[in-house]
Amino acid sequence: MCDPAANLPVVAVAGCGAVTAVGEGVGALRAAMRANASGLRACERFRHPRFQSSVVGAAPATTSGVESDDPAFELAHAALHEAAGEAREVLSATLPTRLGLVLSTTKANIEALERLADGRPCSDAARRHLQPDLLAADLAALHGARGPVQCVSVACTSGLVALQQGAKLIQRGAADAVLVVGVDHLSAFVVGGFSSLKALDPVGCRPFDRDRCGLSPGEAGAAMVLARAELAPRGAVTLRGWGTSNDANHMTGPSRDGSGLAQAIRAALGAAGLRPEEIDYVNAHGTGTPYNDAMESAALRGVFGEACPPFSGAKGMLGHTLGAAGIVETILCVLAMRERLLPGTPRLGASADGVPASLVREPRAAERLDHVLKLSTGFGGCNGALILGHG
Amino acid sequence: MDKLTVTAASRVTAADLATARLGSRFGRMDLFSQLALLAVESLGINFDSLARDRVAICLAAATSSLATDVEFWKGRDAAGGLSPTLFTYTLPSAAIGELAIRHRLTGPNLCLVGGDALLLAEAADLIRRGEADACVCVSGDVVSAALAELIRVPATAGASALFLQRGGEGPHVLRENDRDIASWCAVISGAKNLG
Repeated sequence: MCDPAANLPVVAVAGCGAVTAVGEGVGALRAAMRANASGLRACERFRHPRFQSSVVGAAPATTSGVESDDPAFELAHAALHEAAGEAREVLSATLPTRLGLVLSTTKANIEALERLADGRPCSDAARRHLQPDLLAADLAALHGARGPVQCVSVACTSGLVALQQGAKLIQRGAADAVLVVGVDHLSAFVVGGFSSLKALDPVGCRPFDRDRCGLSPGEAGAAMVLARAELAPRGAVTLRGWGTSNDANHMTGPSRDGSGLAQAIRAALGAAGLRPEEIDYVNAHGTGTPYNDAMESAALRGVFGEACPPFSGAKGMLGHTLGAAGIVETILCVLAMRERLLPGTPRLGASADGVPASLVREPRAAERLDHVLKLSTGFGGCNGALILGHG
Repeated sequence: MDKLTVTAASRVTAADLATARLGSRFGRMDLFSQLALLAVESLGINFDSLARDRVAICLAAATSSLATDVEFWKGRDAAGGLSPTLFTYTLPSAAIGELAIRHRLTGPNLCLVGGDALLLAEAADLIRRGEADACVCVSGDVVSAALAELIRVPATAGASALFLQRGGEGPHVLRENDRDIASWCAVISGAKNLG
């Protein structure tokens, strides 16, 4: 746990950017959140016996002006460009050597491996971005971040861990602002991999639904500009605390009792100096696999008992965007807090047995959203929890 | 500032795997996870004496999981299709999961890709912030011949491990700018346990 009395600098969100299955820009994400819309569609590219499902969350072509055969770079750059635009004043007041970058990804530009293996054209830049750390270095150079650069990859908790790492860089004085960017793109590699595990829902994922039977892969670039709170706009959303843990149980399946995720939540609450009853909303990981959603329900009951706060999941909207998921779903939380709106759970039909009754089906106005908890879990038993606050 | 001590360090290569006896599960892992497990086993740490939820695992994977990625993708045209077992290891952090399972370590996790220059600083920060009392640090790299051709770097396979503890015994106190795990392994020059 972090020590809430440690008098560490407060870290705030100064800007957000996203390219997702619901469109380019945070505005598209906001509109989808309000409409409880889903960006999941059948995609011709994945209609093949090799794949268990062709339903994915595909992002549109970006309009950032960068042309390449490198979808990871394009998505990440577009998201960073938007986030930097919102944080223009903060970034103009930050020396390049005091601006860091943390990249979250699981597969970087894995399309280059497919291209090279198939003998298709592949530029040197695209080949270079097979290596996640080189993608991070090139994004940092393009966006003027000459401070510390890190590349984080902790399965599907990568996004939350990257936000944690960005905040730590600021808190220990290594940077005044940090660009945190998450990216993963749709590929035959990933869709084929999840198909081999029989982990896809043929009709598209339905988190927390009675009939859920798997996830839907998605792609996204998502970026947040973190900064010392005194540099950020007044009232900006802040990162209050975080925690990570490991189930130490199974490589691909979560623990049945949710104790590992509950441990991460308790660590985050301790770091934030909050009690469970002070959490106003939880954005779940909610992959739509039977075991994940059951485990998360158990973890929520373990921490909150019968007083579970309103919670919902976004993967029916965006698909599972892997290394981008923790960041794009945290951006949804930021939007929810700014608009005081509880996001719904797109594609939810009938709730599964055992899911806490506070599951939010449709978006609705919230009385208050002072403290929001974002959860992530991943292969290898990794768990992550992040708490956002105001001011 | 808390005193942090390096209580054990080790270095293994692919040649050491031939004599490794780490159970049937070990044989199903990818090479990176095998090296990471063997390096940590070589530390000789008795985890029974520690609170397992207070032990973090920090990993640095120099070339991500790319060697395993190449192996996995070779299966796309195979009769049985892509291997679900190998897919599990197409994440650079997979070795964290294997280490956590083997030693029942439920503390915080971090995996950095691209060299280990930041690994010790991040592990020390985890402990100093109170998120953990100790940290298993592993730095590894596997570049197969196929990957070497693809990304144009020399082939290699090895892993180093180090155990960092708050307080701890022995003379090996971590200094502010200690970054080089390889140097720690060289310092002990074959002594597996410094405690």
